[in-house]
Amino acid sequence: MVALLGVVLTVAAMLGAESVSFFEMTEQQRSILFDIRLPRILLGACVGASLAVAGAGLQSLLRNPLAEPYLLGVSNGAALGTMLAFVFVADSEFARPVMAFAGAGLATVAVYRMAQSRAGMNVERLVLSGVIVTTFLSSVIVMLTTLLDAAKLRSFTFWLLGDLSQATTNGVWISLIAVVIGTIVLTSQARALNLMMIGERDAVDFGVEVGRVRMLTFGAASLVVGAAVAASGSVGYVGLIVPHLIRLSVGSDNRLVVPLSAIAGAIFVVFADTIARTAIAPRELPVGAITALIGAPLFIYLLRKG
Amino acid sequence: MNLSRNRIVTVLLASLVLASCRGGAPGPSGNAAPAQNEAAANVNLRIVTDDLGRSISVPVKVTRVVSTAPSVTESIFAVGAGDRLVGVTTFCNYPEEAKSIAKIGDTMTPNMESIVALKPDIVFVSTASQIESFSKTLEQNGIAVYVTNPASLDGVYHNLEQFGIIFNTTKVSTELIDALRTREWRIGQTLGTPMQRDELPANFYARVGAIKTFVQISKEPLFTIGKGSFLSDIIESAAGLSVTATVESAFPKLSKETALALTPEVIILSDSLDNQEPNEVFKNSPAVKNGRVYKINADLISRPGPRIVDALEQIAKYLHPEKFPD
Repeated sequence: MVALLGVVLTVAAMLGAESVSFFEMTEQQRSILFDIRLPRILLGACVGASLAVAGAGLQSLLRNPLAEPYLLGVSNGAALGTMLAFVFVADSEFARPVMAFAGAGLATVAVYRMAQSRAGMNVERLVLSGVIVTTFLSSVIVMLTTLLDAAKLRSFTFWLLGDLSQATTNGVWISLIAVVIGTIVLTSQARALNLMMIGERDAVDFGVEVGRVRMLTFGAASLVVGAAVAASGSVGYVGLIVPHLIRLSVGSDNRLVVPLSAIAGAIFVVFADTIARTAIAPRELPVGAITALIGAPLFIYLLRKG
Repeated sequence: MNLSRNRIVTVLLASLVLASCRGGAPGPSGNAAPAQNEAAANVNLRIVTDDLGRSISVPVKVTRVVSTAPSVTESIFAVGAGDRLVGVTTFCNYPEEAKSIAKIGDTMTPNMESIVALKPDIVFVSTASQIESFSKTLEQNGIAVYVTNPASLDGVYHNLEQFGIIFNTTKVSTELIDALRTREWRIGQTLGTPMQRDELPANFYARVGAIKTFVQISKEPLFTIGKGSFLSDIIESAAGLSVTATVESAFPKLSKETALALTPEVIILSDSLDNQEPNEVFKNSPAVKNGRVYKINADLISRPGPRIVDALEQIAKYLHPEKFPD
């Protein structure tokens, strides 16, 4: 799997709107490769890994195969946070991910609170709450884009569709740090998540501190999704499809599923973004459209198969 | 294309229009009786063709119109029919009088109810976006929809000419078009534009000393102008070579790799909040290194109306300052 990621990254680095001859590189080609193409590929890898590990963690925690950053409102919380940073905080590369993380965290807590009832945590309620929070936040975002200054938000609406073209070196670092921390935290909870998949009561019987696992999983998911959304907007289907594919091939042990999802998510998004960069060059497609175009049929296939 | 030929064409068209008006409206003027058959209906209606090639019946006397685009609003005022605008968009900020006209929403989301309530004879729409359902609803309410989509300076002149015909203000519109064409012609005399009919593009660019120009519409994500944009034509008329002139679509999102390889000599920024400086990828371009980055009012550069010639003059001066000593 790691080898496959290496191959995909290498091929992606060789393809682009402009051709780069690797052996006799001109100053300009060096700039294209190192200032534009590589940061974008690395950011794509981080975003893919982030969304996939968040999906893997949430699916196990909530025992719901549909649990996904988008469905649970985490992504839209992050999007709203980014937007507020965009409008109210001066152009700072750090304000966006911080606000996105805060937004993702608040959305997660809100969904979680809404889902709790006297009978305890109910999975149906949770998904329903997620859908409600997602649609509510979407409407707030649409309201704000309508009310606020058009010129400033034009680039924002494009970003909302999923766009990796605004990759910067700092952005790559932020995403990389977030995804490494998030993956380590989620992998450390893998055993507990395995037990949670059987059932919360059983997990408690096995000595799992359910509340702590929940907090750490939600926190890690908010962190990685916040960083991913702040950097690239809404890239859909990664968190849904990648963990399912991994489970189909290696079983449902989260000690394997979480790290492998990170790698496979990176492969998926880098692959999709290579298409987005090159298919109609020198123009570009939004990467979110490509992941959905590949993801939706794949999901239907998995649905019929499983 | 030279001035005298254009004049002749304009005069010919104007006389044709007059002839067709006389031929099409033989009945007594001020005939308010409702149409009882097709022949009678023709008394009050005539056919015009819009930029999509659609034939539209419009009343002989147009008194109430709605504009859904700032460029259209400016054009209607310029042909002397501003007093017949009963509805404009929230973007319509020029001329000053446009601000006090009733608002029907913005260009992307015009409000159907407000438009219908204004009882316009014609609604002018600027592009083909979502026009199908929009025009159908309006036409069911007996309101004609005229679509404008100018892709060049000539396209802008053609619109003004059509507006003159629709509003029966051909005297004003003809004078206006002549004045605009004269200004374009003066720039052409100075710069050696436009391209001659039998001239190879490469020879043309060499002859006029065309400046490699990049027009940046938005910095992040990087949007520029492409093949279908009227601005590509404006750049050429200003003896510039738009480095993205062959990119498909009018306002494409451009690959940064391609942008970096373009090395423009001049960068023109459409002056808006999200577009105050050239994108990072141009940091080593001759334009940035030589300080040849210019801003132009976004309203001027984005509206294919009468003020586009102002934009042309400004761009010509930016590209060839040595040829415009004042």
